[in-house]
Amino acid sequence: MPADLSFEQAPPISVPLRFFLSAPIFGVVAGALLSWWGADVVTSRWLGETLALTHLLVAGFMLQAMTGALFQFLPVAAGCNIARPMLVAATVHPLLAAAALLLPLGLAGGIAIALRVAAALFLFAVAIVVVATGRALLRTPAQGATVLALRLAVGGLAITVLLGTALADGLAGHRSWPLVDLTSIHVAWGLGGWALVLLAGVSYFVVPMFQLTPPYPPRFARWLPLLLLAVLLVWSLQLIVPIPQQLVLICGMALAGAFSATTLWLQQRRRRRIRDPVFWFFRLAMSCLLAAALLAAGVALLPALHDEASVAWILGVLLIPGVFVSAINGMLYKIVPFISWLHLQRLALPGTPVPNVLDLLPGSAMRAQMILHLLAMVLLLMSAVWPSIVTLAGVAFATSSAWLGVNLSRAVWRYVRARGRIGASERGR
Amino acid sequence: MRRVIDGRDLLPPEPLELTLAALDQLTEGDDLLLLLNCRPAPLFGILRRHGYFWDECAQGDGSFEITIRKGIVGEQ
Repeated sequence: MPADLSFEQAPPISVPLRFFLSAPIFGVVAGALLSWWGADVVTSRWLGETLALTHLLVAGFMLQAMTGALFQFLPVAAGCNIARPMLVAATVHPLLAAAALLLPLGLAGGIAIALRVAAALFLFAVAIVVVATGRALLRTPAQGATVLALRLAVGGLAITVLLGTALADGLAGHRSWPLVDLTSIHVAWGLGGWALVLLAGVSYFVVPMFQLTPPYPPRFARWLPLLLLAVLLVWSLQLIVPIPQQLVLICGMALAGAFSATTLWLQQRRRRRIRDPVFWFFRLAMSCLLAAALLAAGVALLPALHDEASVAWILGVLLIPGVFVSAINGMLYKIVPFISWLHLQRLALPGTPVPNVLDLLPGSAMRAQMILHLLAMVLLLMSAVWPSIVTLAGVAFATSSAWLGVNLSRAVWRYVRARGRIGASERGR
Repeated sequence: MRRVIDGRDLLPPEPLELTLAALDQLTEGDDLLLLLNCRPAPLFGILRRHGYFWDECAQGDGSFEITIRKGIVGEQ
């Protein structure tokens, strides 16, 4: 694992920030629509409204934040940089944002043209991301588990979007696709091959660094993404041949559970009793992943639960807001003030005061939003039993996402003001 | 005079914040020893721009020792 911070190669700060500041907006829209649509969305994962909410989070919140993180993380963890980052970001960001709004519109409203345009935009924008990041990742001399995971994750993103395009095409009228099988493969690649593998690769780097834990066991770190890839390939074979679905699902869940258990174990062995919001967000994310892995394995063993709408709802809540939104929320609280502070340090002359990280984003603001996120999670899970609660859960989730956006925006505003002060003091010298 | 900052059990960017604060008090002839778990490339960029010199030594346990001193006028 490279223990290095090649910040000198990092892109201009506006490149990742545009993605990071956009992500919470999709959380606000998802929460508001959940509240508006109410209890019906809990009754089936196949409803257009449920699919729309899911994609606001995975293709909106998560994809925005994770694309921004790739721009920032590649130079830091893999020692490589995306060529012409400003141009790539300026092209990809609006396309992904537009696609992530059109897709839910098409899914919820059954609007074929919205589905087709969203799919085309995703295909184009993600192709740029995959080529730009893939080129950098294949050229870097850096090796190690993080680089391997990043490479596989980018491949996973490409496959997810290709499958999603086929599904959008099918939903828009071409019913020749085997939609149910294709959906289960699309979900597996999206949540497993892209999101979980990227989370693992990033965790290998940031958990020891920011939570002062021992490093991940090297063999485990290297084999986890490869084994996940193997499981996904076998899972995908169901399109052409019968596969032992329960066994493959249990294998996948065992790998996800092993990753979460290892991270929780490392957190317990941290060298200092850190209890900052980033630590708690990661602990929540890993606890949700462990719970989801156990539940999904249980469902595989007990087919009677397979068609239970409440089980599908709980799994969805544990995996999407529970694992990925929580981990991203925590990471944004670490990345945004950290890169702002570093950029200010690069600008300032010796002796020029620069606000520290907690001046840019105070711990109290992060903790208050974290409590609201936790409350939203509890309400979302309770909605499986009492669906009427979902309205309140939606309000809590929207408010938590808005609060995240406000906290990040205030950090960026403080950065901009400090940059102005540094510029003014240097002009006065 | 040598000052030591042990940043191995501090959360990033605390070690860098402490180092940059200590650099303001560093005079010619003094040095600053920094103990870290990772190689602090962002710090090197700042040191280079502001005329400091440093030696880095990777330790067997994966940590790093960085010795920083102030540049003497005309040394660069």
